[in-house]
Amino acid sequence: MSETTPIVHVVDDDASFLTAMSRLFRANGFSVKTYSSAHEFLAQRDADTPGCVLADLRMPQMSGLDLQTALAQTPNPLPILFLTGHGDIPSTVRAMRDGAEDFLEKTAPKKKLIDAVTRALSRDSQEREARARRRELRTRFDTLTERELEVLAHVVRGQLNKQIAGDLGIHERTVKLHRTAITTKLKVQSVAELTRLTQEAGIFPGPVRTFPKGQ
Amino acid sequence: MLRWGHVAVWLIVVSLIAFVRLYLGAGRVWLAWTACGLRTFALLLNFFTGQNLNYREITDLVPVRFLGESVAAAKGVPNPWMLVGQLSLVVWLVFTIDATIMTWRRGDRERAFAVGGSIVFFALASSIQAPLVFWGIIQMPLSASLFFTGIVTVMGYELSSEMLRAPQVDRKLQESEAGLHEIEVRMRLAVESADFGIWIRDLVRDEIWATDEWRALFGFPDTERLKLDRILERIHSEDQDKFRSVLKNATEGGASYEGEFRVVLPTGEVRWIGSHGHVEFDGTGKPILVRGVSHDITARKEAEQETQNLRREIAHVGRVSMMGQLASALAHEINQPLGAILRNAEAAELFLQNGSPDLEEIRAIFADIRKDNQRAGSVIDRMRALLKRQNLDKRSVDVSELVGEVVALVHSDATARHVKFEVAVADRLPPVCGDVVHLQQVLLNLIVNAMDALDEAKAGDRRVSVTASLGGPQTIEIAVSDSGCGIPADKLTHIFDPFFTTKPKGMGMGLPISRTIIEAHHGRLWEENRPGGGASFRFTLPIEAGSTAK
Repeated sequence: MSETTPIVHVVDDDASFLTAMSRLFRANGFSVKTYSSAHEFLAQRDADTPGCVLADLRMPQMSGLDLQTALAQTPNPLPILFLTGHGDIPSTVRAMRDGAEDFLEKTAPKKKLIDAVTRALSRDSQEREARARRRELRTRFDTLTERELEVLAHVVRGQLNKQIAGDLGIHERTVKLHRTAITTKLKVQSVAELTRLTQEAGIFPGPVRTFPKGQ
Repeated sequence: MLRWGHVAVWLIVVSLIAFVRLYLGAGRVWLAWTACGLRTFALLLNFFTGQNLNYREITDLVPVRFLGESVAAAKGVPNPWMLVGQLSLVVWLVFTIDATIMTWRRGDRERAFAVGGSIVFFALASSIQAPLVFWGIIQMPLSASLFFTGIVTVMGYELSSEMLRAPQVDRKLQESEAGLHEIEVRMRLAVESADFGIWIRDLVRDEIWATDEWRALFGFPDTERLKLDRILERIHSEDQDKFRSVLKNATEGGASYEGEFRVVLPTGEVRWIGSHGHVEFDGTGKPILVRGVSHDITARKEAEQETQNLRREIAHVGRVSMMGQLASALAHEINQPLGAILRNAEAAELFLQNGSPDLEEIRAIFADIRKDNQRAGSVIDRMRALLKRQNLDKRSVDVSELVGEVVALVHSDATARHVKFEVAVADRLPPVCGDVVHLQQVLLNLIVNAMDALDEAKAGDRRVSVTASLGGPQTIEIAVSDSGCGIPADKLTHIFDPFFTTKPKGMGMGLPISRTIIEAHHGRLWEENRPGGGASFRFTLPIEAGSTAK
C-alpha cells in the first residue's frame, strides 16, 4: 500500500515563525502545513494522512497542552512535539507525562529539530501500521458467530474441549466443529497463534489477563 | 517627808512621757529625753538643797481652806532650784504638744485630743499653779496634785476603752482573717491553674517579693533573695533595653506595667514571659509599689514567630517568582522572533545549497529576518519602557532598611548553603528615591548570584559582603561581593547580555533586568573582579534630594 507522504503540521500563533518553520522543513524535503491556531488545525486535518504536529505551548484560546488532549481523543492521533519560547518545568512535566513526543525550544539547534520530527514521523508510521493491523484483525474476528466467540474465550483461557463442552452445555464434538470454524475464519494454524491474535486484536480485554493490573 | 513627794512627781512625769511616746507613737525623742533628764536633775536637787525642791526653809505650816476643808500648807523661803523643776515641766509640755500635733496631723484626731489635749491642759495648769501659790496669789496646798489626778483619769479612760474595744477588734480580725484566707485560697487556685507568678516590687524599701510560681518561671531558687540586677541578668540580651524601659516607665509615673520579653534560665532554656501590673502611689503621687503578674507566653510567641516566618517566606517566593515570571514572559516573547530568525537563516542556507535557488524566496527570507530582528529589539525596548514609566512607584527608600530586608530574606537560604554574610551600611546615609520592590529585586538577584558563585567554594570560605556607602556627593553606592573565583575574562563582556548564563538552570535574564531597573532609577550597574578574587557587582542610586523624578 503506497502511503501518501507524511505531513509536518506546524501550529503557532506567530505568523513569522510559521513561515520560517515552513521554509526550513521544505528545504529539508518535508511536506509542511501551517495553522495559526489549534482550532484551525483540528478543523482542517485529514485523519488518514500520516504526519506529526509541532505546536507552540503558549497560544491564545487553545494551548499546546489542550491540543494534545483533544488530539488524543481522535481515532488517529498524531505524535505531538512542543515548541516553546522558554520551557517552564510544570508544563514540560505535564506534556511529557501525557505522551509528548518531544519538547523543544524555538531556538533549538536545527539538527535536534529535524531529528525530533523524523523520529515522530517514524513513530506515527509504526503506530499507523499497528492500528491498521488491529483493524484488519477486527474485521476477521467480526466474521465469528456469537457461539464461536464464546468457545474462543474458553480456548484462549487454555481449557480442554471437554471442559468447554461441560461449561457451555454442548456436545464435545460440537466444540470441535466450532474450533475448526474459528481457525479457518481467522486463518490460524495453532492455539498459540490464536491466543496471540486475540490479544493483538484486543478482544476480551478482561478475561485474558489472569492477574490484576498494577500489582 | 516633803522630799519624797517629788519622787512621785518624777515618776508621773517620766511615765507620762513614756506613755505619750509609746501610746501615740509621736513626739520628738530628744525632747522626751531632755524632759526626763531635767526632771531627774530636779529630783536630785530636791534631796540635796534646802528643805525640798520648793522650799529652802519651811518656817511655818498654815491652815488653808481648800474645797471647804482645812488643809495644812507649808510656808517658807522658796528654793531657787525650783526653777529647774519648772523648766522640766515646760520641756515636757513642749514634747507633749509636739506629739499631739503630730498625732493630729496623722489624722488620729480623737486620741490626740483626749490624751495630748488633756495632758497639755493639766500640765499647763499645774505649772502655772505652783508659782501662783508661791507668790501667795492664791492660797491652796501645792502638793494637791489635782491636775495629775485629772491626767491619770483621762489616761485610765483611754486605756480602759481600748481594752474594752480589744475583744471586739479581735473578733473582727478573726472574721476578716477567715475571709482573707478564703480569698487567698481562691487566688492560689486561680494562680496555680493559670501558671501565673505574682510579684510585688516595693520601690520605697527597694525590695522584691514573688510567689514560688514566679520564681519557677524565672528559675530562681526559693531561698535566693530577689534583687533587680539579678533579675536583669536573666533577661535575654536583646530584650534588656526593652525591659529597662518598662521598669523606667513604671517608676517614673506610668500607671501600668506592661512588657513581653525573653528570659534565659540557668539551664540555657529560653522562655517568653509576659508581665503586667499596676503602680501604686502615695498621697503625693510618688510611686511606691508595683504589683503584677508574669506568665509563660512561649507557646504563643512561637506561634507568632512561625506565622511571621511563613509570611516572610511567602513574600520571598512572591518576589523571586515575580522576577521569574517577568523573565519567563520576556524569554517567551523574545524567543519567538529569535526562533523565526534562526529557522529562516537555516532555510536560506539550505535553499542556497540548491543548484538553482529561488532568489525571490531568499529575498523574502532576508526581509523576514530583518523584520524579526526589529521585533526582538522592540521587546527589549518595551520592557525598558515598562519599567521606566508605569511600573516604577518611586518613593523615599532607606538604604539600610533595603539592605536589611533583602539580607533577612535570603538568610535561611544562606544558612542552608553555609554562606556567611557581612553587611556594612555606612551610618546616616541619606535616603534614595526609588521603587522599593524593584530595588529589592536587583539586590536579591545580585545576592543570589553571589551565593550561586560560591557553590564550588569550600564551606568555610563562602562569604558574601553587602556594603552601602556614599559613592559621591549625589549618589549612594551599593556593592555585593563574593569570595568565589570571579568571572572569567572571556565571559565578562557578555554577562549583561540577555540569555547569557553560566548556570545550568539560569535564564540569563537577571543581570539585564537588574541593569534596566537601575538605569531606570538613573543609576549605574557594573561588575568588577576583586583584586583578592571573587566578583563584585556595584550599583549607584541618586540621593533623594538630588532626584527630580517623581
